[in-house]
Amino acid sequence: MSFSPIFCHCFRKLVNLSCGCFSQFRVGTYEDIGSIVSSMIARATLIKRLHPIMESMLAAVIGLMIGAVIMLGYGYNPVAAYGSLFQGSFGSLYSWAESLANATPLILTALTFAVAMRGGLFNIGAEGQLYVGALAAVAVSLIHLPSPIHIVMALCAAMLAGMLWSLPIALLKLTRGVHEVISTIMFNWIAYFLALYVIAHVLTDPLRGEKTISIVETSRLARIVLGTTLNYGLLIAIIAAVAVLFVLWRTTVGFELRVSGHTSVAARYAGISHRRQILTVLLMGGATAGLAGAVQVMGRPPTYAVLSGLPQLINLGFDGIGVAMIGRNHPIGIIVAAIFFGGLMAGGRVMQFSPGVPLELVRVVEGVIIVTLAVPELRNMLGSFRRQFAKKKVYDGS
Amino acid sequence: MKVFHIRLAAVLLMVFAVVAGPLVGTAAAAGKVALVIDVGGRGDLSFNDMGFKGADEAVAKFGMELVEIQSNSAADYLPNLQNAARSEAFDLIIGVGFLLADAMAEVTDQFPDQKFAIIDVTWLGKPNLQEVGFEENKGSALVGALGAMVAAHYGYDKIGVVLGIEIPVLYKFEAGYRFGLHWGNAKYAEVTGKSAEVGLLWTYTGTFSDIAKGKVATQAMLAQGAGLIYNVAGPLGIGDLEAITEHLEAQGKSAGPPFMIGVDANQDYLGDGHRVLASMMKRVDYGVYSAIESVANGSFKGGVRILGPGNGGIAISRQQDLGDFIDFGIKGGAISESDRSQITANWQAMRAAVPAWIWEAVEELEAKISSGEAKVPCDWCADSIKAIRAQYPD
Repeated sequence: MSFSPIFCHCFRKLVNLSCGCFSQFRVGTYEDIGSIVSSMIARATLIKRLHPIMESMLAAVIGLMIGAVIMLGYGYNPVAAYGSLFQGSFGSLYSWAESLANATPLILTALTFAVAMRGGLFNIGAEGQLYVGALAAVAVSLIHLPSPIHIVMALCAAMLAGMLWSLPIALLKLTRGVHEVISTIMFNWIAYFLALYVIAHVLTDPLRGEKTISIVETSRLARIVLGTTLNYGLLIAIIAAVAVLFVLWRTTVGFELRVSGHTSVAARYAGISHRRQILTVLLMGGATAGLAGAVQVMGRPPTYAVLSGLPQLINLGFDGIGVAMIGRNHPIGIIVAAIFFGGLMAGGRVMQFSPGVPLELVRVVEGVIIVTLAVPELRNMLGSFRRQFAKKKVYDGS
Repeated sequence: MKVFHIRLAAVLLMVFAVVAGPLVGTAAAAGKVALVIDVGGRGDLSFNDMGFKGADEAVAKFGMELVEIQSNSAADYLPNLQNAARSEAFDLIIGVGFLLADAMAEVTDQFPDQKFAIIDVTWLGKPNLQEVGFEENKGSALVGALGAMVAAHYGYDKIGVVLGIEIPVLYKFEAGYRFGLHWGNAKYAEVTGKSAEVGLLWTYTGTFSDIAKGKVATQAMLAQGAGLIYNVAGPLGIGDLEAITEHLEAQGKSAGPPFMIGVDANQDYLGDGHRVLASMMKRVDYGVYSAIESVANGSFKGGVRILGPGNGGIAISRQQDLGDFIDFGIKGGAISESDRSQITANWQAMRAAVPAWIWEAVEELEAKISSGEAKVPCDWCADSIKAIRAQYPD
């Protein structure tokens, strides 16, 4: 129910698309339902808010407790399980390294979502853009270059591929009004099957048909801590986060983007082109998502290749949405949230063998913690959608 | 407001402490084994489930404790092995499947004192790693010979093989099957005095997961007159069998021919027990079991162990395996207990309908392969598969 405004929004766009030539057609009924739901949310958000950090801490505690109850229900000892979760995530240098290694691609995919959110778009296309980015990084291994140049080339190719993959999404939205939720979901699937094709027929390893060729030595990111999977991809992710921070809060482009995302009517009144913002956020998002794919294959040992079924890439884009929400769609928040998320993933591996919690249940517990952590930001987002909705109604004269 | 929040947190913490308190405590065992598996996980009724079967049996026998570590992503392979090794809690860490090869190569160097084993990988060469490989080519030769003789007996002039992705491991299956087909044709002519010229239909579907492709490939082969289809693509066998079942239903029949030949596990219990003539069993369970056994009795050695027809690693499915694998199928949810007697009866009738001399001939070939008299190509034929195709043509 709480998602209704978003879906009403999508639905309106869809109707607009399908009735392109009847653009005067008004879907008043859905507007009304939307306003009822919005007012319900408005009442819910009236409850006094805590400080954001306190709020997240409380959410984490609630999530951990719900997770504990679930584990108890299945007969596992939650104290031992959380003990090994902590041990496996932040209990030693090794676990810190693994948590950071997991965080690396998540920072980048979370930036994709956050930038779009700041610009007022709901971009869930990081998943597909990350696949094409990874493939582009592998493709650069076909040419021979000296090491630092090769790495830079591969990273640029990945960013370019991610941007190219988000370009049709922007164009569809600008020319045909296709809502980005619909088009990104579709393009994610196109990217998935394209990737399977490329693995099997284009960049195939001649001796092992289930994977692409491995990234050559000159194009690999070195490890920061030997014996772990932590590599300099982390540095790239942090640089990208700082760059996004700078662009959004220290440049005119970023200011316009945030104004446009916060109150599109005010932005229009101030002469800010909403169309340009759409292009900017989607391309920026494509670049960071492409980078996520690149650092995952160029930096993550031991295979340095894309495997059939994309087992080391799949879901990183969607997990990025959760990270962005926990991190309040802010680059610094995202870095912290991604490390937390990466820690959950790393600790979850250890939970499997220390108290012997099966992977399925580990995933459930992780999911509960993530959902509870995302609730505060979800409330913010719904609030801002409600505001947009209300204002649109006023200014559209409906 | 603030006071309320503090009280709430305190109450929640107390509840947590009361509920969680009494559950601390662990049990001890004679030894611990970790089984690290790839993203496939349990429930494939084939390769991974066979690995678990062997591990479950071994830990029950030797009073050890088994911990299974499933991988959520390919990025987990290396950390999963590292975490297990770092904990220093395991007497043996087993990687099931060649997808773990790259990670295993790294982790065996990193933890030289930890004992490891890996299934389906034979090229790493580490002192602390037992590598278990299988002679799939020899097993495929046995089912190829069986297929040729059975097809000729039932008046078919083709047999088929549906393969997965074109990788060197599958060339071993193809090469062996070709050898067996030619051996079976010759044997049929020798015994019956009639010439048999059963030909081969073969398809690389390019997938180990798209079941529909197995079905389409099998339908094409049946339309060209194939009397038997060998499944060499894991779950695609489900599609192969579906095509055979529909083909038979169209003629108002339930029992083969045409038949399927199962792979990896004993899949004879599928198809009501009378559409899968036999299975080329690759005893992954035995590979895992014997690796754990070697640790339990102190005889663990690094190096490559090749399991084949001579030492219980490769075999054609027999009566004594059937009951065992009906349990396996029930556990995996493919069949139910009430089907047991019907499947067993159907299977016995199907096997009895095939002349005894054919089964004896298969055993003869098995003995010749074990003694080295019959030389089956190939151990690794990434380069030589074209020559083998020319030597043993379609």
